[in-house]
Amino acid sequence: PAGGQPFAGALIERRGGARLAARSPRSVHPGSRLLPPRFQENADPQKTAFLLRKQWTLYSVSPLYKFSSADLKDYARMLGVFIATEKQKGLAVDVDGELGVRVAMSGLPELRGSEQDPAAVLVQLSLRSSLSPKNSEEKLIWSGWFCCVAGDDLLEDLPENFTCLPLFLVNGAESYTAIVGSWFQKTFDCCFRRLAISPLNLTWMAAMWTGCKVDKSTAATELLFSVPHLPQPLDISYAIHPEDAKALWDTVQKTPGEITQEEVDVFMECLYSHFHRHFKIHLSATKLVKVSTGIASAHCDGIIKFLQSQYLIGVLMLLTELAISQIQ
Amino acid sequence: MDEVIVEYIRRTVLKIPRDEIMAVLQKWGFLSEAQLQTINFRQTKESISHSVAQLCEESSANIKQAALLDIIYNHIYPNKRAWSVYRMNKTGEETDFFDFRDFKKKFRRQIQSALINVTINFREYEDNAIWIRIAWGTPYTKPNQYKTSYVVYHSQTPYVFISASTLRSNLPLLCQAMVVASNYHDIREMELRSHCLNSLKDIVFKRYSQNFQTNYPLQERNVLTENVDLRINDENSSEKERIHRLNQECFGDGPQPKLDFAQYKLETMFKSDPKWDVLEKKEPFRCLVKFSSPHLLESLKSLAPAGLADAPLSPLLTCIPQKARNYFKIREKKSLHPGNFVALFQLQDSSETQHMPILST
Repeated sequence: PAGGQPFAGALIERRGGARLAARSPRSVHPGSRLLPPRFQENADPQKTAFLLRKQWTLYSVSPLYKFSSADLKDYARMLGVFIATEKQKGLAVDVDGELGVRVAMSGLPELRGSEQDPAAVLVQLSLRSSLSPKNSEEKLIWSGWFCCVAGDDLLEDLPENFTCLPLFLVNGAESYTAIVGSWFQKTFDCCFRRLAISPLNLTWMAAMWTGCKVDKSTAATELLFSVPHLPQPLDISYAIHPEDAKALWDTVQKTPGEITQEEVDVFMECLYSHFHRHFKIHLSATKLVKVSTGIASAHCDGIIKFLQSQYLIGVLMLLTELAISQIQ
Repeated sequence: MDEVIVEYIRRTVLKIPRDEIMAVLQKWGFLSEAQLQTINFRQTKESISHSVAQLCEESSANIKQAALLDIIYNHIYPNKRAWSVYRMNKTGEETDFFDFRDFKKKFRRQIQSALINVTINFREYEDNAIWIRIAWGTPYTKPNQYKTSYVVYHSQTPYVFISASTLRSNLPLLCQAMVVASNYHDIREMELRSHCLNSLKDIVFKRYSQNFQTNYPLQERNVLTENVDLRINDENSSEKERIHRLNQECFGDGPQPKLDFAQYKLETMFKSDPKWDVLEKKEPFRCLVKFSSPHLLESLKSLAPAGLADAPLSPLLTCIPQKARNYFKIREKKSLHPGNFVALFQLQDSSETQHMPILST
């Protein structure tokens, strides 16, 4: 369970202090992970197209108490009132000609691993402008969605009345994130924490995503390293042609159906040694801060970008796992 | 026309840091000292710029004066622009006497024969540097003063520094004009780019301190002079000294030219430790590596002492100033000389003039 609230100034009232029973922490760096599945054929890529090519900031969320997906409309209304109140207090952004923020909450049933996972929940804030009050000409200013993909570990021992949606993704102004987050924390007795991605997990992503089969030509596998503590800081971008990176990975990854830590290590060692051969620099001693592939890109500050709808579920599965690790 | 010029001057003034506006205006010399005294420099920059604009309007500033102010601004703050380096070639050894008037006439005529809608201004500086400002229009529209290219040419050298800005399509015309006006035969873009104009000059004019052979005996050399605390015993002192010495040999003693980045397109073979039992391809392992830093060479120099790299550092990195380039294409050398590191890679002298493609989205 987490300490430290990320939203400054928000009132956190814990109701009853219901907490999950202590459980043995899931290994943060498991010996192996399943290969990421490709999207189901009958799923409609249009529905999730809006998620692609946007920058999403990641949070982990502890289970929500007495949350019901049947009450989304009520929640939206309540959140709208809360936002208006916060603005009165001068805590929110105010834009000229703005009549207020409209809140929409909807379910995204296609964003889950199995029927056991709760459906994802999308929250959207739009700006009503005085220019077109009746029109649906509203400007979307903030999006956040909760999801859970293959959250079996956490779902198993979940007490009644709790809903598990451990991963939260945000696109929009920090000020709105703070307000929405506070409301959820107050209403459902949960806790949001920024989800950073360790260099080790970034290497997993580099390996896994490089290995994904894509139909058409895609972007390079790019690793970004930072050496901040030198007198003059240095950034190193190391991009490998996607075909060559995949060819290398295919010879490394030998275990059928899953990826092992050892395989990831060998993959990275190969890349490091190729680099060292040319430049005599030990990349392994620098900090890996970002990984980009044709599937997705991930930054160590916990920022993700989805680039292909095919592997969306696979990426979400990995992120759900990271979120769950942080919660426990 | 007047309003456009005055607004252009105002926007140029806005770019200058507040404390330096007075000095720049004095250098410009268009407004009299008396006029300058009337400006309240303790206002916001926005207000100062309006005061200046007002005075310029009253004094009927014309396009030539506005262009001159822009040249002065860019001469003082050249690092706001990205510069590429070109080298001109001529057959024969004749060093013609450089006639500035003739140069200007030919340059102007060459450009205007292709495109009449341009504003061209020249200014010569003490170090024999000629600054040329070109504002581009189109065959149908007047020159846009905000779309400018800059050329810096040291007449005693074959080097031309160009900051083309947005309109790269005019680059061939610009290069052609340079060749004709300076009586050369052709011009070629070097694989060298940076924001720091002076460092580019240092590199091509060889004004930085180069590698030197250490002929001095050990005792005389300037080894790391730290405050020696006798209680601390540096176990690695000999290793530290070795690294320091090798670094000196690669980079030289003096300050390094300032570059923002170096880019390497690698088309070498992937070779790995056989115990991993991985990729054994006959084709090259294609990579694109880019190093970025506020001061790249100083940064690279500090890697070995920080334990992040071997000493001596790879010649691919240390050769940057000597080869006067920061774009490289590296291929595997056909004949292998095991043990001889430098012979393992072959720097391809690229005759292409376009940028290396970036692979990622």
